Amino acid sequence: MKKEIGSFVVGDSTKCTGCKACEVACFTVHNRKSNHVGNTVGTVTVPVTPRLFLTRFDQGCMPIQCKHCEDAPCLNACSKGAISRIDHQVIVDAEKCIGCKDCMQACPFGAIALLPYAKDGRLVAQPMSEEPKVFASKCDLCAGIEGGPACVRVCPHQALRLVDPEAEREEKNIRAAESLLLTKDWR
Amino acid sequence: MNYFVKGNPDLCIGCRTCMIGCVVAHEGKHIFEVDPDSYSFNPKLHMVKTARLSVPVQCKHCENPACMAVCPAGAISQKDHCIVIDTDKCMGCKSCMDACPFGAINMTVQTGKFQADGSEKKVANKCDLCYGLPGGPACVRVCPTEALTLVTEEKLGEAMEHKRMEAARNTYRETHPQE
Repeated sequence: MKKEIGSFVVGDSTKCTGCKACEVACFTVHNRKSNHVGNTVGTVTVPVTPRLFLTRFDQGCMPIQCKHCEDAPCLNACSKGAISRIDHQVIVDAEKCIGCKDCMQACPFGAIALLPYAKDGRLVAQPMSEEPKVFASKCDLCAGIEGGPACVRVCPHQALRLVDPEAEREEKNIRAAESLLLTKDWR
Repeated sequence: MNYFVKGNPDLCIGCRTCMIGCVVAHEGKHIFEVDPDSYSFNPKLHMVKTARLSVPVQCKHCENPACMAVCPAGAISQKDHCIVIDTDKCMGCKSCMDACPFGAINMTVQTGKFQADGSEKKVANKCDLCYGLPGGPACVRVCPTEALTLVTEEKLGEAMEHKRMEAARNTYRETHPQE
């Protein structure tokens, strides 16, 4: 069937141990080409900028990332047109982003952080300021990266799951229909 | 207790009249008499057909709804024996879709509403028991084989009471075989 809505990754706090392998993998795969990040620490010359955020709370921990909303508040809030929907996913254009923080405030999940922007292994400077350029860092579902979301692949406890919402809904429908066979004589 | 509509796979013939009835009731249009592009065909129940059965699946209007608990926008609420979605508040995050164990929620285009980049706005869609519409759930009314039933607190209570009495009678018979 034709895909009509965006997929997303969700974490499972009952499995997550908070090791942050997902954050590191996310940073690595997104910076291989642009910042020459390799498989060892020595190759990292720029700040670590993940697109999902390991979150500790009273009952445990889990990574929080973008749900790729179908009426995305971040996209609607961006005055610069830096957030767009590409192939059903909500994608930030880091070059266009001016760091206005509107998307951060619009997102109800806290799935966006403003992080330093680096290119060619170096932070991008901006005129009239000591501070480097920043960009709205959020999950892009590893668009254009081979093998799909790196966080899902790297998690040692399988605490992350890539959700195809419509396919899962149809599977759940079938289970629900089969359970109606068991309850048909409810009277 | 919330009410819900329940399909009987033994009676359902998979004709999808319930889906059409649902769309007609919610769109308020006689869909066979108007331009197919002038309405959205977004039924709030889903026909499931497998080798073993055919039956529509729809929201169970749970008493502790997972969808309501997980919604970050407060768009899902309980009203008059019914769990309803406020589509104006919904931002299409799909959390409810992921949370529902029955697959009763899907995402549908909201006709005439657009996001900032011009793409169509999609929001959560599920059975609302024809909330605010006269005559009760349309699917129940239109089903030609009467395979759908609106289960109310009273009906479910009666059924449970009946089953308990039967169970008590059977136990009594076992201990008093001579009677």
